[in-house]
Amino acid sequence: MTGLPPVRVEKALGLMPELEALDPLRALVVSLSRPDERALWSSSGPYLTLGKRGVHPDEVRRRMQQAFHRIVGHLQALYREYVDALEAQQRGDAAGVVSALLRAGRLEEGVGRFTQAQAWYDVALQVGQALQDRRPEVECLRALGHASLALGKNADGARHFQRALALAEAEFDQAGATAACEGLGDAALAQGQWAGAQAWYSRGLRLAEAAGDGSRAGRLERQLGVLARKQGDLAAAGDFLRRARERFESAGSADETARVLNEQGQLDAQLGRHGPAAAAYREALAWSQRATRDPGLELSVRLNLAQLDLEAGRLLEAEAELRRAEQVAIADNAMRRLVQVYTLMGRLRGVQADETGFVFFEQAIELAKALDRSLATEAQVYLAYGLFRSRLGQQDEARAYLERAREIFDSLGEAVGRERVEAELRALSA
Amino acid sequence: MTPPLRVESSPRSAGPRREEVALLRILVVAGEGTRAAGLLQNLRQWADDGRLELDSAPDLPRAVRQLAGARWDLVVAVLGEHPDDDLAWWVDTLRGVPGSPRLLAAAPTPSMGLVLRAEKAGVLDVLSLPLRRDDLMAALERIRSAAAETALPLPPVEAQAVGPYALVGQSPAMLDVYKLLARVAGSAATVLVQGESGTGKEVVARALHVNGPKATGAFVAVNCAAIPENLLESELFGHEKGAFTGAVTRKIGRFEQAAGGTLFLDEIADMSLALQAKILRAVQEREIERVGGAEAIPVDVRMIAATNRDLKEAIQQGRFREDLYYRLAVVTIRLPRLGERGDDLVLLTAYFVRQFAERYGKQIHAISDRALDLLRGHAWVGNVRELRNVIERAVIVGGEDVLRAEHLPEELRGEAVTLADRPQGGLLTLAEIEARHIARVLAHTNGQIGAAAEILGIHRNTLTRKMKEYGL
Repeated sequence: MTGLPPVRVEKALGLMPELEALDPLRALVVSLSRPDERALWSSSGPYLTLGKRGVHPDEVRRRMQQAFHRIVGHLQALYREYVDALEAQQRGDAAGVVSALLRAGRLEEGVGRFTQAQAWYDVALQVGQALQDRRPEVECLRALGHASLALGKNADGARHFQRALALAEAEFDQAGATAACEGLGDAALAQGQWAGAQAWYSRGLRLAEAAGDGSRAGRLERQLGVLARKQGDLAAAGDFLRRARERFESAGSADETARVLNEQGQLDAQLGRHGPAAAAYREALAWSQRATRDPGLELSVRLNLAQLDLEAGRLLEAEAELRRAEQVAIADNAMRRLVQVYTLMGRLRGVQADETGFVFFEQAIELAKALDRSLATEAQVYLAYGLFRSRLGQQDEARAYLERAREIFDSLGEAVGRERVEAELRALSA
Repeated sequence: MTPPLRVESSPRSAGPRREEVALLRILVVAGEGTRAAGLLQNLRQWADDGRLELDSAPDLPRAVRQLAGARWDLVVAVLGEHPDDDLAWWVDTLRGVPGSPRLLAAAPTPSMGLVLRAEKAGVLDVLSLPLRRDDLMAALERIRSAAAETALPLPPVEAQAVGPYALVGQSPAMLDVYKLLARVAGSAATVLVQGESGTGKEVVARALHVNGPKATGAFVAVNCAAIPENLLESELFGHEKGAFTGAVTRKIGRFEQAAGGTLFLDEIADMSLALQAKILRAVQEREIERVGGAEAIPVDVRMIAATNRDLKEAIQQGRFREDLYYRLAVVTIRLPRLGERGDDLVLLTAYFVRQFAERYGKQIHAISDRALDLLRGHAWVGNVRELRNVIERAVIVGGEDVLRAEHLPEELRGEAVTLADRPQGGLLTLAEIEARHIARVLAHTNGQIGAAAEILGIHRNTLTRKMKEYGL
């Protein structure tokens, strides 16, 4: 330490051009940032966001080596997979080539690089399509489907899964067909096509049960529970989630149990049962601790817990939970989740009629703009920002933000989001 | 809410009667396998002597279920292969559990770092495995002795209401503030309020406003440190529609909103030099321009500024304009730290307990002697704001007519009930004593390194180095 004050993250990131090669450096700067300890109890303390945290150049310099190590490790693993593919090519093993390329894609997915993963899967698919055995091709299509969904390209995802299903059925590949049904259900769910999602999940569940694939059956039951909740059939939702939970708990699957409990919490919250909902979330967190570390899962549970507290008027608890989530999101560079954290924090300030809460929405928008495939996320922030302004009686600004949200949802063809914005705009005009 | 400890009374001859010793409900989370079975067997053997009621859970998730279903006094958790992570999860899990059970962690060979982190988190104790009866009984004794609390009625408080806040306190330091406030409130003079974070600068600014010549106008507060630098100018001066990307509508700034009233610029030292120049112009010329606008708009506002920084030092470092300082500091009011206000702490505590009890529909009329001791012994680096936070949480957690030590945050409770010295039964090395003392001071200052360094009398860089060395 030089004794000089740290540089604010908003300044630090302002000095960095938007280059892909600098993504790891950006992540390093964010994860090393600390709140200014002088600000913790100051009147600006409650409004601390990522931009107001500080980072010491010395610390970045010291930790750069670790970042390089991780980058080199990732590249080495990718190169090794490529060489494996090359060797398989040399010995005429096309299925081996596909496997190696898929592994490379999964490595990219593991570090959140879905566009790059897609590129590997595209190459794998080209090789797989030439094979007599269609199962590698099915696997490529499923991988592409998942990557497309992760990138928010739901229609593309559905197309890949549809093709995978047709091929798997032709090949009597039951496991491939079940997985494709699950993917098709996910794509339909993401597009708000409840009936379609239900049909695909139900079909997948029948196939999984016939094949004795308990793990996939449990996942499909969980998704059917999610769907039933969204459709308002809360009794059916409870039934599906109970069955999924029994499956996963008896199999000792900690991460899946945590996911089911996270859904159970949302169901209980929708039923107005705040106590059981909080208990379900707390138990979900406990299970997630036993599973392989998955910050995304932990953050999802913490955000749900904060939302529950917010809706129950337990504002102190909501804020404390959001600050914990913020810490996890920053440490793990989970920027999409951080956008959600700040959006909820802004909502919380809106409930308190605290106008300065706008700083959270501004920070969320700035983060969302910097994210790849973030338009839907950005639209969600504008929607919440509009509602915040409306709550404070600033109708013109509220309308402007809601219209911006509608514009983005329109450009994405997001019917569900658009309808929600329309309803809010109508309420504003009434 | 039922008391955490049930005392059963029936006659017995010598010493403290067995039935008078409080029964403790303990949840043991030891995992599975022979070691866990051994631990449970030992605890069951000691349960009768120790007046313990035991139950067990195999792991954290199942324990969460049991914690939600009944009331417990203590959780004995065996930490796994990653004791630091496990401990953090346990602390997080027990936060908000009804009855605020204490945590007693056990590990085969607890490290110094683990023990110190546990201490900071308010953990009752960290014991080595295999568990020794005497260590356990000593930890239980600390819970029991902490439970013997006497209720003290809350004293009456005369509070001077200031909008949503109030001026509370009768200490000499605050009486000086009141006198100065009374002298300057009636004028329209610009006032600079200085004081550490949480000392009540905004409350004083509001008091100046409501007792001043512009009391009928609005009181508009802007927190200069909270707002992103690129937005602060438009927040203060407003903007015209289309002035920049994101200027979706015309915006009236805070200067204009405060017209005929008071503009309170909080944390003024956090403003950029460029913006300071614009503020100076507004103060001098009493007019502003909206961002993207060409028209000069006259503004008639009383300005009050506040900071927790030393502005003269900031001037020397070239981070604050000297001319603006003299414009703002026509009158300077310096607010004392909570630590300098003596028994104001008790009055403020009583005031906040009543305020939050009313807000949350609780019937709290007293505070326990131990809770008050813990409050008196804390460093309060966040001053009144920190006290207010602590009391609000305590009122939410508490449910009876008495605010007890168990309702206070674990960090505060941890300051009084410290862990037993390590290594067990042995003498500590100089480094261990230093590490332990640093951890205690950090717990005392809520982890604030600057404040801790000041207490320890060392430079903050030295403290940072030592913290790294000891894994704190």
